[in-house]
Amino acid sequence: MDQPQLWVSALTQGSFFGLLGLAYYLVLIGAGFFNIAVGAYASLAGLLTSWLVVEKDFSLWPAIAIALAVTVVVAGATELLVVRPVQRRGRGSELAALVSVTALLFVIAQFAGFEFGYTTLPGQQLLDIEPVQIGGAIITANALIMIVLTFAIFLLLAMLIRTTRAGRLLRAVGDSNPVANMLGLPVHRVRLIAFLLCGLLAGVAGLLFSSQAGVSSSSGLGWAISGFLAVVIGGAGNIIGPLIGGIVLGMLQIFVPYYWGGNATNIVLLVVAAAFFSLRPQGAFAQRVRV
Amino acid sequence: MSTEVSPEHSRAATPGPLTPAPAPSAAPNPSAGRESARRSGVHDKGSLMVAVVIGALLIVWAGNNSYRYSLVQTAALYALIGVGVYIPFVMGGSLSLAYAAYASIGGYSVALIASKTSLPVWLGWFIGAAASAVAAVILGQLTRRLAGLYLACITFLFAQAFQSWLNSASGITGGQSGIGGFRATSIFGWVPHHRAQIVMAVVLVIAVGYAVDRMRLSPWGVTLRAMREVPAAVEASGVRVSMLNLVALGFGAAVAALGGSLFTTVTSVVTPGTFTLNLVFLAVFMALLGGQATPWGAIAGAVLIVELTLNVPSLETSGSLLVAIVVLVVMLVAPTGVLGIVNTGRRRLASVVADRRRADTPIDQSDGDSLA
Repeated sequence: MDQPQLWVSALTQGSFFGLLGLAYYLVLIGAGFFNIAVGAYASLAGLLTSWLVVEKDFSLWPAIAIALAVTVVVAGATELLVVRPVQRRGRGSELAALVSVTALLFVIAQFAGFEFGYTTLPGQQLLDIEPVQIGGAIITANALIMIVLTFAIFLLLAMLIRTTRAGRLLRAVGDSNPVANMLGLPVHRVRLIAFLLCGLLAGVAGLLFSSQAGVSSSSGLGWAISGFLAVVIGGAGNIIGPLIGGIVLGMLQIFVPYYWGGNATNIVLLVVAAAFFSLRPQGAFAQRVRV
Repeated sequence: MSTEVSPEHSRAATPGPLTPAPAPSAAPNPSAGRESARRSGVHDKGSLMVAVVIGALLIVWAGNNSYRYSLVQTAALYALIGVGVYIPFVMGGSLSLAYAAYASIGGYSVALIASKTSLPVWLGWFIGAAASAVAAVILGQLTRRLAGLYLACITFLFAQAFQSWLNSASGITGGQSGIGGFRATSIFGWVPHHRAQIVMAVVLVIAVGYAVDRMRLSPWGVTLRAMREVPAAVEASGVRVSMLNLVALGFGAAVAALGGSLFTTVTSVVTPGTFTLNLVFLAVFMALLGGQATPWGAIAGAVLIVELTLNVPSLETSGSLLVAIVVLVVMLVAPTGVLGIVNTGRRRLASVVADRRRADTPIDQSDGDSLA
């Protein structure tokens, strides 16, 4: 583990998983629900951008704006058209909401494949700057943006959630939808905002990551699971949790294939996930309630 | 006399207070009592009859066309995995996604028995079913405190890891190219060929569907379904909930393994990619699409999905998109699924007919009964 280049890769992947985890985290604390469509949002944003640029000759920034707008709208539709009606139906709704959002994930993935092709599209170069060399490692512009932006977003959201009124509202609503409703808090609006932000974050994550690894319509499911694992490993007690979980996951994804070969990755992933799920399902940073 | 018939109909046609919240399952209320069990028993013979007719039609339709053979075989595989998922997911309420692994265990045990031993090949079916039931119980025991997405995720990771293992353990599993070209199954000297194979596949699916449907109505099935709704009440009445859950998971895995064995027996080849990880999502969708009230829903869903994704030329690539959209729409608009819609329609029609009969001849109990 003394190769700085691998650490850069691990950090980049980790940032990506961390951002996806953060997208989960927002809906989790706002609506108490794991929105597995996060992976689909990310791949949709990446695909749509590349497709607009490659096939439709859009210039980069308008394409990004359109892709992010579409992703945010889709995330809003997830809450309004899928989660809310299914949860309103009542009993056993946790599994029902989960399964219908999984169906949505497949709808988005299949639609993207149908519309933008089933092949992997190359991501777009976001900034035209030279790769930076630090120590023995070369950091490309895209990796640099990914890492810097991820940490910036985490800091910003941590401040917003901790200090602002909107952040308190989000946590209050997430702690208990019914009680928040009883207190007259705008539960529906807060949940919707959580979903919209989730879509935006996932879209940004997908854009940034596909600029390095490319993106295909089938990426969504794997990304959804990685983001979920980031939250589970890191824990949802603290906003830093998903970032830490993401980086741990990124290290696994990079170092395990390097030392033990590609087939070992999935097995190590299973072992790590099983260890966390069975020994510490609340994650590394759990919420502590003082009584 | 006729007044005794009419409330039956109105209760069946419109979801009244006795029908629990439809999402995600429209499982009948176990407390509806003997009357309901008797009626379900009657329906369930009707479903069996319909299934037999449709199965026979499929066999006739397949004729001598090898592409149609493969479609029927694929539908049988899907249906068995669908029923396998149905048992723990719809009846027990726990979403396990390891079914690609269970089907692979079924497939590989047939392939290994046929290629590496001189034992009869059909033994592989039983070994595969038993092995995947054991795997499911162990996995279930490890994850017994998990539910919802946690369970789904860990079982999915297990399936993924199992696929990687199949790829890498080339000494046992033949690695990426899998095991192929092994000897055909012979049952005490008789080697079934194409026609016999699809008849057997259809018979197996119908038999499993019927058995699981009976099981759903048995005391065990009712307890399992009650556990899904109120686990605390089941635990309080002296049934170990975790044990019940494990049995359901193991049973579902065994059924899925049968599907894998069947498919491998027919195609004479199995690779790590034969049973894809996406198959399990299709299997979950089958029950939702076809209807969750009975396992026949999963089977109907399997046939529909094979039809949409593989057999409609104009849909070529959009078939999967269509399946995903239809599943989502069914979940949102008609949680009882296709069979639920058909059933409601049939009952409405029956009650309309019954009303008309009653208007003609005021007292006519036998007619009312036969329509119920």
